[in-house]
Amino acid sequence: MSEPVIEIRGLRKTFRDFWLRPVAEAVNGIDLTVGRGDVFGLLGPNGSGKSTTIKMILGLLAPTSGEVKLFGLPPRAKAARARLGYLPELSYLHPFLTARETVRYYAGLSELDGRTAKARTDELLEQVGLAAVANRAVGGFSKGMARRVAFASALVSRPELLILDEPTSGLDPIGTREVKELVGRLAADGMTILVTSHQLFDMQDVCSRVAILSHGRVVGGGSVADIVAAAEDKRHALEDYFVARLKGGAA
Amino acid sequence: MIPSFLLAWRALVRGHVLTLLLAATALAHLLLPALVRSDGTAAGWREMYIRAVTGATFAFTVVTVLVCACGFFAQERARFRLALTVVRPVPAFAVAAGKWLALCAAAACAYLLTAVLTAVRVPDPPACMHHYAPALPPPAETARRMMAEYLADPKTPEAVKKAPKSAVLSLLTNKELDRYDVVRPGAEMAWPFAPGLASVPGLTVRVRFATQFELRAPLAGRFELAGLCAVVSNNTQAVLDIPLAAAAAGAGPADRLRFANTGRETVMLRPRRDLELLTPADPFAANLARAALQMLATTALLAAFGLFLSSALSRPVAIFTSLVAVFVALMAPSVLVQFPDGLDVAAADRLGLAISRGVSLLAATAGEAEPVSDLATDTCIEWRALARCALVNAVLLPTVLLALAACLVRRRPLSAQS
Repeated sequence: MSEPVIEIRGLRKTFRDFWLRPVAEAVNGIDLTVGRGDVFGLLGPNGSGKSTTIKMILGLLAPTSGEVKLFGLPPRAKAARARLGYLPELSYLHPFLTARETVRYYAGLSELDGRTAKARTDELLEQVGLAAVANRAVGGFSKGMARRVAFASALVSRPELLILDEPTSGLDPIGTREVKELVGRLAADGMTILVTSHQLFDMQDVCSRVAILSHGRVVGGGSVADIVAAAEDKRHALEDYFVARLKGGAA
Repeated sequence: MIPSFLLAWRALVRGHVLTLLLAATALAHLLLPALVRSDGTAAGWREMYIRAVTGATFAFTVVTVLVCACGFFAQERARFRLALTVVRPVPAFAVAAGKWLALCAAAACAYLLTAVLTAVRVPDPPACMHHYAPALPPPAETARRMMAEYLADPKTPEAVKKAPKSAVLSLLTNKELDRYDVVRPGAEMAWPFAPGLASVPGLTVRVRFATQFELRAPLAGRFELAGLCAVVSNNTQAVLDIPLAAAAAGAGPADRLRFANTGRETVMLRPRRDLELLTPADPFAANLARAALQMLATTALLAAFGLFLSSALSRPVAIFTSLVAVFVALMAPSVLVQFPDGLDVAAADRLGLAISRGVSLLAATAGEAEPVSDLATDTCIEWRALARCALVNAVLLPTVLLALAACLVRRRPLSAQS
């Protein structure tokens, strides 16, 4: 495997109530490695621990035990954060900002200098097809347009690692295809991408490797090419594998 | 810091908070004077205007800024936007400082408008005055000396000797602050002042005499300081501003203000509370500018306090906590006045008294400045007091609060719901 970008060892997260009694075991001993240039799919049903894992990778949640390293550093290290881009499941934009101001804001938070931030903002708005509406407040945007603004914001610092949480959530088929094409282009440029989704059909097209989570554990995974090669129905190979692993995991 | 400042500034401008703040300020200057009555004199009207209108704009600017500050981090956390900020390499302190600067800028706009409107609406204001109190030893020092004498005195009851020293010192300090000097008919009394004041042109004595029974009684006497003198012929209980003029003959002591009681009443005054020498300082506009800066410094502190609460609590809880804290800080001195020595306090009152004392101690430096009161009474806000207020309220305390807020934001970027 190429140089590891994300390394997760024995990761556990137990949510506790006010009296510190365990309420839920969201992540239960995950080991994962994502190498440079991988497009890694983190798949699983609702409540399988995908979002909790991503929040620990981002340093937003502290693990109960285990370890996460980004580029060999703790996730909260500034040097790690400087090389990271993140697209959350919902866009969470500031409705009173325009598309341009939104991307510039995140460029500023990524500590890009003014000239670079401006050039990068213009370039990304052009790339996501929002140049014509760059000066409109995002509060009036459709879900698909807001998603594109969020995508541009995630990419503004030219991250080496991009974490996409349900990137096609709420998008129409054309928007979904555009996102898939964009992910393909970014992967071709050598960007490492960690993506979660329920759209297994789409994941099969874009991911090079996958891990399947169930009840906070990894119950399967591997190279998408191998999964497809081993499947009878090539078109639904990942979906069949996913269902089989979940049934196996449940058993 | 700049992206965070711009975001918060745009939120204030595009959320119409700034517009509402400026509109409310302008409306207060237009409408409030019609609702509040003065004593009919120009000076009374001016004081009423400043206390009611400028004071009101100060109060609602503070409340607006505090409420906005309490929402900034809390709302971003509730809507997951804070998580998107903390995954970026920008230091959390810079994010907090940017938001704080935006709040300060909004408050500065409101205070600029209120200063301009006050300057326009108050006609022919007099110059503000430097105030000089008698050069007496600090009351705490006098209290310590008095306590040593009490303890050495065999007549002092044992109960007093065994009472907590801090309570006795507090009692004696308050006693010293309220100590009366009595001047009988035909007698004289002098109080020390800083040397050199007699040579300042426009020197005025501000004095308020009383009688033993707090009655309004006729007052007659003569003040002397170096080659200056003034004759007083008025009533006790009134606050009198008596200009000193060059004496035709004779001279008083160089650094002591002497009062000769030529009337028929025994009069008295508290030298630490009822006697001051005034000298002319700046024009009203300069004092107004300094008052606006003091208001801004106080608002800056409260903005930082709101951001600190917002970094840990949800918006409604942060707003409630901040308003309660401000209310308690305002009320605490009034509670302490009721129990100056802390002795003979009912057990049920002890907790409240302890809270009042703690809050009062914490807010002492922050609440030292009284810009509205100083402006209304033409008291010059000294540069030194302004610098101290700005350093403590707009630099030191906000830096500590914003650093704490930054730590909390880093540690808790997600709400319970996310």
